[in-house]
Parts: sequence; C-alpha cells; structure tokens
Amino acid sequence: MITFEGVSKRYPDGTVAVDHLDLEVPTGRTTVLVGSSGSGKTTALRMINRMVEPTGGTIAIDGEDVRAREPAALRRSIGYVIQQAGLFPHRTVEDNIATVPLLLGRSRGEARGRARELLELVGLPPEHARRYPHQLSGGQQQRVGVARALAADPPILLMDEPFSAVDPLVRAGLQDELVRLQKELHKTIVFVTHDIDEAVKLGDAIAVFRPGGRLAQVAPPERLLSEPADAFVEEFIGYDRGVRRLSFFPASALSLRSDVLVEAAAPARRARETAAATGEPWLLAIDADRRPLGWVAADVLAGADGDRPVADLDLVGYGHTFSVPTDSLRAALDAAVLSPAGRAVGVDADGTVVGAVAQTDLGTAIWAVGEADGRAAVDGRA
Amino acid sequence: MPDAAGPIGLPPRFAGQVGEVADWALSNIDDPIAPRLLEHVQLSVAPVLLGLAVALPLGVAAARWPRWYPAVLTGVNVLYALPSLALFFLLLPYTGFSPWTAIIPLALYTLAILVPNVVDGLDQVPDHVRQAATAMGFSPMRRLVRVELPVALPVIIAGLRVATVATISMVSVASLVGLGGLGQIILTDGFRRNFAAPVVVGVLLSVALAFLADGLLVLLQRWLTPWTRGRETGATSRSRRAARRDAPPTAPDTGSAAPPAAPAARGEDA
Repeated sequence: MITFEGVSKRYPDGTVAVDHLDLEVPTGRTTVLVGSSGSGKTTALRMINRMVEPTGGTIAIDGEDVRAREPAALRRSIGYVIQQAGLFPHRTVEDNIATVPLLLGRSRGEARGRARELLELVGLPPEHARRYPHQLSGGQQQRVGVARALAADPPILLMDEPFSAVDPLVRAGLQDELVRLQKELHKTIVFVTHDIDEAVKLGDAIAVFRPGGRLAQVAPPERLLSEPADAFVEEFIGYDRGVRRLSFFPASALSLRSDVLVEAAAPARRARETAAATGEPWLLAIDADRRPLGWVAADVLAGADGDRPVADLDLVGYGHTFSVPTDSLRAALDAAVLSPAGRAVGVDADGTVVGAVAQTDLGTAIWAVGEADGRAAVDGRA
Repeated sequence: MPDAAGPIGLPPRFAGQVGEVADWALSNIDDPIAPRLLEHVQLSVAPVLLGLAVALPLGVAAARWPRWYPAVLTGVNVLYALPSLALFFLLLPYTGFSPWTAIIPLALYTLAILVPNVVDGLDQVPDHVRQAATAMGFSPMRRLVRVELPVALPVIIAGLRVATVATISMVSVASLVGLGGLGQIILTDGFRRNFAAPVVVGVLLSVALAFLADGLLVLLQRWLTPWTRGRETGATSRSRRAARRDAPPTAPDTGSAAPPAAPAARGEDA
C-alpha cells in the first residue's frame, strides 16, 4: 500500500502543485489519478519514486518512508511508464526492456531472456526484439514501454498518461491489454490521466484532483459516477455520467424475448401468426445458424404474399448487437438506440441470437438498477 | 631570387607538368614525403583528440547549466579568432619546436566546433527519454554516459568531422614556424625553391588525407550508431548542418571572406 499523508509540494516561486494530499493506494489494485492539467496529479505520481521531492508530509510504501531509500535504488523497484514511451532510441527493443534487470546486475543473457518473455506478454512478435524503437509504431512503442516497466517484476507500476499520445483506436487496444495484464499480474498501479473515460475503464478507484492540487474525491468508478461529491466533480465527469454508469451493470440481467425471432426461410404467413400471437410490431429474421439478418415490420408482413419466405421481404438493418454474457447495460442501450426498430439484439459469445429487447423494457431494467442501487445506498448508510 | 632565406617569393606557375610532379613524388617518397605525411597525421589527430577531451566535459557542463553556455560559446569563439601564426610564435618560448606548439593552438580551435556540437547533441535528447532513464534508476552520471551521450553521438561525430577536416588543412600553417607536416614540403621544397611539384604533391596529399579522415569518421559513426541507419530524417544530416551553422563564419588567419559553409575554410595552404 502506498500512503500519502498530508503531502504538499510548493515550488520556490510560490506555486502549489499538491496541497495537503491524503490518499491510500491499495496493494494489487489500479488507482487512477485524474484531473485537468495543473491539478498536481503528475506531481503526486512522481513523488512516489522521488522524481519530485515533497515540501511537506510523508509518502510511505508499505509503511516505509520513501525518503529512507536511495532514489536510484527506489526507482529500480518501481516500474515507470511515461507518455511517448521514453524508449532509448540507441538501444534495441530487447535491450530497452532489459534496462532495469541490467541495472540490477543481472547477466545480459538472463536479462534478454526476460525481455523476450515480456515481449510476448505485451503481445508483440519476437522478431521485434532486435528492432530499434523508431522502427515501431506509437502503439507498439508504448507496449515496449510497459514491458520495460515490468521487466524487473516490480510490485508497483507508475503510469504517467501512458496512452495519451496514440490514436483513439490504438489507445482502446492498449487499455484492454492493460486490464488483461492486471488481471494476471495484480500490480499496485498508479495511473495518471486527464481522460475520465480512461479512468472509469481502468480504475478500481479514481482520485479526482481539482486545480490547485487538492483532492476532490476518491471513489470506485461506479460510485464516482452515481454520487459525485460536489459540483466540481460532477462537471468534470460530464453530463452523461448516468449513461456511462450503466457500463457497470451486466446485460445478462436483462430478460430477452426469443419469441420474436422468425426463421428467414419461413413463409410470411407463419411470421404473420407469430406477430399476431406476440403483439409485437417487429420480428427479427434469423438465418439457419441463428445469426441476425434484419427486422421485419408487422405491417409489411400483413401486406405480403403469405407464401413468400420472410427473407424476400423488406428487412430493416439491426444496427449493432450486444453480447449478452460480456457486455453491459450501456452497450445494450446503445444498440437499442441505434436500431431502426428500437430494439437491441442480444447475441451469445459465438454470435448466435439469444433474443431481443425493446427500449421500453430496457428502460424498466435501468430503472430497476437505479432502485436497487438507491436501496443499497440507504442500507449502507444505516 | 629569394632562396633559403628571406621572404617567400611569388609561387611558380603550375602548367600541368604532371610528369614532373610524378617524378618528384616517386623519387622523394621516402624522404621527405613519408615522414612529413606521418607528421601531418600526428599533428592533426592529436589536437582533435585533445580538443574532444576538453570539449566533452565543457559541453556537458554547458548543457547542464545553460546559463553559462553563452559565456562558454563566446570564449571558444574568441579563441577561434586568434591568428594561429601568432599563437604558434607565442608558444615557441615555452614549448620550443616540439609538436605541442602546433597541437595546443589547433586543439583550442577545435573547441569552437566541438563544444556547440556536444551541447546541441545533448539538448536534442528527448525529454521523455531523459525522464524515463531517471525513473528507471540511472544515477545522473550513468544516465549521461549510457543514455545521453550515446543519443547525442551522431551530432558529436558530425562536429568531429568538421573539426578534423579543418585541423588537417590548418596543420600546414604550422610549417611556417618549422613544426613539420605537409606544409613543410610546400614551403621549403616548393615555394623557397620556386618549384611547383612539391606544392602540388603537398596539396594533393593534404586533401586526400582530409577525405580519408572524413570517410573513416563516417564509418565510425555507422559502426557506433547502428540505430540511425534507415532513418528517414536521420540525425546525421541534421547535425551536419548544425555543425556547419555553428562553425565561425570567417577564417581569422587570412582575414579573407571565406565562405562560412566550407569546413576547410581556415587552411590557407590547403
């Protein structure tokens, strides 16, 4: 556990970067420091490995004051990932990754062997080992940066806006990768970002900093979204926090209707009967493998030749599907909003249709989540 | 006709007596050509190495404390402006006709090229690279030696190339005060005896030596900085420009308006 106790950083010109920070960073979890620029989040991060020395208070790792340790030795025991990766341009990828093991006195062979393992861990092909950093893309460089930080297997990983210099698509990939790695490695990660979405995606806890280096709120992401401590936090999170919060509730809780599915090969007459029996204005046409083809309106069925197969009728696109076992209510809601039929199609891990859910039913489910949460909050206070 | 003593007379006109030059070169290869050439190499290499040994710590310090850099830069430029002939004569009472009389001034001149290149090389080390090195647990000294200087190497070697070529051309001046080198052939065998062949041989050898030294430094750089290969916007071409930009614009000895881009501008005899 990393403990900040009354930590301040005041520069000689009077600027206060961090103001009386009290924060506990639990072991084995990801804590995200988020805030606008000038809020002191990076300064706070850099005080952990003594890249910046506090002017007041103490920082302790597992109870031991960091100032009791020699800076270079302390830093070798803490992984560090920086924006733009900070790779050494004159060293190959494997030698970059081997940096800290070599500083710690391991043999070159051992360090390089470890580098190869890590290359695989961060999802880079082994033939990249002998390349130089400038021969890699930005996203690949950042993966090497993560591998280098992990090389000596430090218990703590400091990440200073590591993904902000790559394009959004690559960034999302790197974030997913970090979540996957963390499930495997259980490092104590302190992650600095100005992107609240990134914080919500990665953090077990989020610490929001306000300008002037003061801590505004520390909370798990879901609670941060549902109960921002004050107007500043609320504004910082953004107005769609309600919708974002839905990403913490699994879509598997939804009850999907499978009686609105109709085989594409079936004649329109039979589909008409299904529509009448369910009273639904839209039926989902599926192929023989239970994959979605499109929506067919009850009106279209009513006017169609009863012998024509459903596949030949006017089908409306179904937008995107959501995965019932892995996606959240947010994904389901998004699918419903984008669907011309106002209904979201839920699929299984293998892409076969489980069922569909209408916007109105989703609304009920979301309402229920809010209710349950409200009750839990009340219980919690009692 | 001015012979062994007295001021140097008008040089003879060279009218393409290639045969004469070749004859002279072949019959004098053991003496004086070979020993003078060897002297020339020694008198060129030693100042560059000595200059580098001084420029590195000076450049590192100037990059570390940028406030002092303008003063350092002025200092090395003023040194560069001192006429070499005068410096040779000033040193004679102390160092006599030893090689040091040539080596010390020439080493001082290389500082004007090498110090700015060391500083530029260190300044262009990306900040995120420097910070990452600190965060990895490099001590300041280790960071300098293992990360910053290697990354600055292409720029430093670019400066070394300019300094080497300039020094090779300037060594000839040292011959004016009898310190040896190819200038000696040009002066004593050529001008004083009003004979063109030694002059031509001296000039050609001096130029060939400059080309050779430059080529060797290019090879050295390729070998030391494999990471710059195949890099589109290589540090090499950029730093080479930087080295030329930083070279003082005129050749102070002659007072002539030598083009600032010519690295060999200082050599009157080459």
